[in-house]
Amino acid sequence: MTEKQVQKQDTVQQTAAPRRETVYVPDVDISENSECIRLVADMPGVEQGSVDVSVENNLLTFEGTATFEAPEGYELVGQEYGVGKYRRDFTLSDEVDTDGIKARIRHGVLEVTLPKREQVKTKKIEIEA
Amino acid sequence: MFDLVTWPRNPWSIFDELESLQDDMNRLFTGQEVGGRGQRGAAWRRRRPSYPLMNVWSAEDGIVIDAELPGVDPKDVDISVLGDQLTLRGKVNPVQVAEGETYHRRERPAGEFARTLQLPFRAAADAVKANYKNGVLRLTVPRSEEEKPKRIQIEA
Repeated sequence: MTEKQVQKQDTVQQTAAPRRETVYVPDVDISENSECIRLVADMPGVEQGSVDVSVENNLLTFEGTATFEAPEGYELVGQEYGVGKYRRDFTLSDEVDTDGIKARIRHGVLEVTLPKREQVKTKKIEIEA
Repeated sequence: MFDLVTWPRNPWSIFDELESLQDDMNRLFTGQEVGGRGQRGAAWRRRRPSYPLMNVWSAEDGIVIDAELPGVDPKDVDISVLGDQLTLRGKVNPVQVAEGETYHRRERPAGEFARTLQLPFRAAADAVKANYKNGVLRLTVPRSEEEKPKRIQIEA
């Protein structure tokens, strides 16, 4: 995962000071078959309620916020990964039927299924005798 | 950010790796960084030292380890404790290419992994608890009885 500094306008406060937010880029696997395109993203620590998948103008954006509870009474001794927000976006081609997109998150893995439009699916053409 | 607390007894880092047994996991990444220290950035990602990534907390009676293991089947993970070594071993994201399916991108780690941590104390092996939630494996490893610090009274 790489870290990206993202600037956000803080509209609650009246100042125009942008607020920096650390956003992690999740690893994805993208596969395709004749029916649909499948996108699988690793977002450990993210659960059902805190993931958001949206499509706008053929841009698919998904983001999730990871949560964790530090164990009580313990002190952090070594850290190899950070916990925070994940976000990534992809531009979809016209092949994708954006109305039929389904997403599911389980065990920290987000799976997005992007069905292909009917006309695009491979059709077998019968050869007339 | 990497905050390291040196253990009082001897300079010990929770991420002292024992020579193992890394695996096809590392062959996915070109080059391997020695020492297991994490550093953020694109270069780090290509030279990921170990899998899974862990965060460790410690207290007087034991330690808690959080390991990032998204999408793994608890049956595929083997946790074993021997004395003062904790080994996590398993298989993640086995490649299953169905008929007619092609991959455009494969970034998620896949393959077998094995990682051993050197603990600063002998663990009570039968009291280790493991919990898997949202892709994060939390291991609670208590010290074994003999190693618990004992209060010594000063005689008047």
